[in-house]
Amino acid sequence: MAQRVVKPKTNLGPGFWPVTAFIVLLSAVMVYFVYTSPMPIGLVQAGDPAPTVDELFRFLGAVAACIFNLVTIYTIYFGIVFARPKNAPPNTIGVQIHDAPVLEFWWTAIPTILVVILAIYSTKIWADLQNTQGDVLTVEAIGYQFGFQFRYPKLANPVVNELHLPLNTPTTIHITSRDVIHGFWIPELRMKADMVPGLITTIRVTPTRAGEYRIVCTEFCGVAHSKMYAKAVLESQQDFSKWFAKQGGASGGGGGSAGGTPLALGAGKADAGQTLFGQKCSACHSTGPYDQKQVGPGLGKLFSDPTHPKLVNGKDVTPQNVAALIHDGYQGDMGVMPSAQVNQISNSDIANLVAYLASLSKK
Amino acid sequence: MATVAPGVTTGPYHAVLDHIHPEPTSFIRKYIFSIDAKVIGIQYMITGAIFFAISGFMAELIRTQLLSPNGLIVSSATYNSIYSMHGSSMVWFVVIPLLTGAFGNFVMPMQIGARDVAFPWLNLVAFWIFPVAGVILFSSFLVGAPDAGWTEYPPISLLGPPGTNLWCIAVFLIGISSTMTGINFLVTIFKMRAPGMTFTRMPLFVWAQFATAPLSFIATTALGAALAALFIERVFGVPFYDPKRGGSPVLWQHMFWFYSHPAVYIMIIPGFGIISEVLPTFARKPIFGYKMIAFSSVAIALLSFSVWAHHMFTSGMAPWLQLPFMIVTMVIAIPTGVKIFSWMATLWGGAINWKTPALYATGFLITFTYGGLTGFFLAAIPADYHEHGTYFVVAHFHYVLYGGSIMSLFAGLYYWWPKMTGRMYNEKLGQLQFWLTFIGFNATFTPMHWLGLMGMPRRVATYDPQFTFWNQFASISSYVMAAGALLFIYILIDSLRNGKKAGPNPWGARTLEWMVSSPAPYYNFKKIPAVLAAPYDFGNPLPYLGLEAAPGATEATPTHSSHPVPTHL
Repeated sequence: MAQRVVKPKTNLGPGFWPVTAFIVLLSAVMVYFVYTSPMPIGLVQAGDPAPTVDELFRFLGAVAACIFNLVTIYTIYFGIVFARPKNAPPNTIGVQIHDAPVLEFWWTAIPTILVVILAIYSTKIWADLQNTQGDVLTVEAIGYQFGFQFRYPKLANPVVNELHLPLNTPTTIHITSRDVIHGFWIPELRMKADMVPGLITTIRVTPTRAGEYRIVCTEFCGVAHSKMYAKAVLESQQDFSKWFAKQGGASGGGGGSAGGTPLALGAGKADAGQTLFGQKCSACHSTGPYDQKQVGPGLGKLFSDPTHPKLVNGKDVTPQNVAALIHDGYQGDMGVMPSAQVNQISNSDIANLVAYLASLSKK
Repeated sequence: MATVAPGVTTGPYHAVLDHIHPEPTSFIRKYIFSIDAKVIGIQYMITGAIFFAISGFMAELIRTQLLSPNGLIVSSATYNSIYSMHGSSMVWFVVIPLLTGAFGNFVMPMQIGARDVAFPWLNLVAFWIFPVAGVILFSSFLVGAPDAGWTEYPPISLLGPPGTNLWCIAVFLIGISSTMTGINFLVTIFKMRAPGMTFTRMPLFVWAQFATAPLSFIATTALGAALAALFIERVFGVPFYDPKRGGSPVLWQHMFWFYSHPAVYIMIIPGFGIISEVLPTFARKPIFGYKMIAFSSVAIALLSFSVWAHHMFTSGMAPWLQLPFMIVTMVIAIPTGVKIFSWMATLWGGAINWKTPALYATGFLITFTYGGLTGFFLAAIPADYHEHGTYFVVAHFHYVLYGGSIMSLFAGLYYWWPKMTGRMYNEKLGQLQFWLTFIGFNATFTPMHWLGLMGMPRRVATYDPQFTFWNQFASISSYVMAAGALLFIYILIDSLRNGKKAGPNPWGARTLEWMVSSPAPYYNFKKIPAVLAAPYDFGNPLPYLGLEAAPGATEATPTHSSHPVPTHL
């Protein structure tokens, strides 16, 4: 006759279920607050992608609060009810269990599911950020020790330490550095990218809330790193146009994307090219000899340098090939040069640049 | 080969262990150039403690500077050097040597029933590189200490003061030391376990060292290469990293983090091991889920090699490349979570003896969980776009490094102190020291999460006045931590001078190091014991054969072999 197996009484401890109820209740309250607070991290949302990123913060905050409550409150509770009583003999021992496979299965499975959900959710938001519309306005941000320089299409001179962006305009910011690694961060937009010399990183934002915000350098960049700030002025399209006109810009907003004119190099004007070189090329190229490199080689003797008879892409140094290189951009051993489209250079601009480079080589 | 117990035979290695070398008698061979792993362990402990005091002092300088938004005491340049040296020293000269070199050497050979590590002379060399490298590192203050943070990203580190070269040499040397120790421990654990100690009978601290050792010597090679290249570029001008001359600054970041992320686990897995020893001993219970805890250490070690680029989400790497790193990083939460739940279940149903090591182990459980959860915030790429390079990161890694590694170091030191010195510490003061540390720590680092999210970047000597309140709060709290550290020094001195004799096994623990007298004899075990089972069955007789009972052993012998519920419920 089979003996009846008597299961030992499972005593979870006095007050286990009330404590569990407390954990659930506290977590529910915290999740409620995380989801109803207008600014989950206490910082205004000045534009996209702040609301999207904040949704992720809400989700992470809610999950983290629940897990933290669970671990902390149970740990403290176990610590109190399972403390060895003062009068217990020193050889008192606890429950001699080694495993509880069902329990272990669930506390592996539930976190796994949670991780999958979090990964999918983060990926979704990440993909949203990648697919954001930018290109209505394109700005270049260049970091240096110790400040930020911003270049706008059709604006002759770069603007220093002041970034103006019109509201509700999808904006692409191309980011690089002239010397060491800096960071470009507008906390109110929840967006950041390192400014890496020799690399161009791209972020897309759409300002929605007018105001002055801070641009913060977040990578250590030298002795004045602590003081490296710039101003981001998010303003209405009208205010922006006014400001832009005052800076000497041809037209407010709008991308000066590449025009459709064919590459008529003969029409290029060297003086116009010189201005353009200062805006578009001089962050990476000097007008000295080849070896006077910044990010790319010096271009002062591009057409008359016997030691460098070929372009970096291996082609002969002819005006057409130079124009093609500017148009297509370059990626190879030397580094990366963005294409004319990314650089916001039209075909007539290219002609001007080639004319200017040719004039340099004649000097 | 001889059978020493049913089913337990000695291997060829153990068959020849009847002979014991005599203990050296000269002071130098006994205490300075000793090859005894226990002495080397204590040497690591003392050296690491000195570096801990120096870098802790630098931490207080950092917090004092940040009492004022304009910087209270030093110039930006000095401040940059101080925090760079604080980080470098804490990572390479405090946490890693203490968790592997100190506790690994002192505890691990005894726990596996060995008389020493596999290569005692290599061990000696590995130790002596450590203080030499430390002196080189700190002597950089004489020529201008490195100022670009412990990560030393080029190009700024290429322009750094001359001390940056010394920094390269010092870290390279400590890497060699770490590699030697890793190989030594791996061979020791593979070849020198006592007869009958199968892998699933090893104490969990040994499992932790087993998972850590390969990280030490595989990952460190990448760091060595990166450091060599940085040194060559700084000294001889060969452009590895300078983008103006065709180098890539991002290359350094990849190489550096390929080492430094596994290094994060070198700094925490041995801590997991300590917690897994302390909790069952003080809860008077078998560790819950032995195999899960053991295997999850190995799983974490393996995964740690494929997460490094999560430090670089904003560095300009290809967007599609970010995703796999995010996912693997999140996956690490699963084995870590399993550990945390298993430790909680170990507390459940215990008869917990709330001594200082148990307090530290439980404090670890809470702070480390918190640090793990903020790790999730950083792993999620879009959230990281906001948090990268801010005080949120500082708060996160202090939660896992101080709240994780250092808390477990404290737990381990209180736990094994009687074994090292033969004396007990003052329990009341120990508990006070825990509360000072625990409260001071949380009050120092919790506000930094808010500071970071609100817009305060890291590595700044001055800051915007809007952040003043929480910075001052953190600074003042850090003095509470400092008070805890000073009290700790007093407790140790007091214990050495006035401590009660500990006896071989003051905690009633069951791993092999507690089966010998305190301090342990020169050769640990006159006769190598045979091991019959995993060590944590408090309800059963000790699973060792052939041990010569230590004089005055006070092992608590339970009266019942199995209890369905705690005896006091």
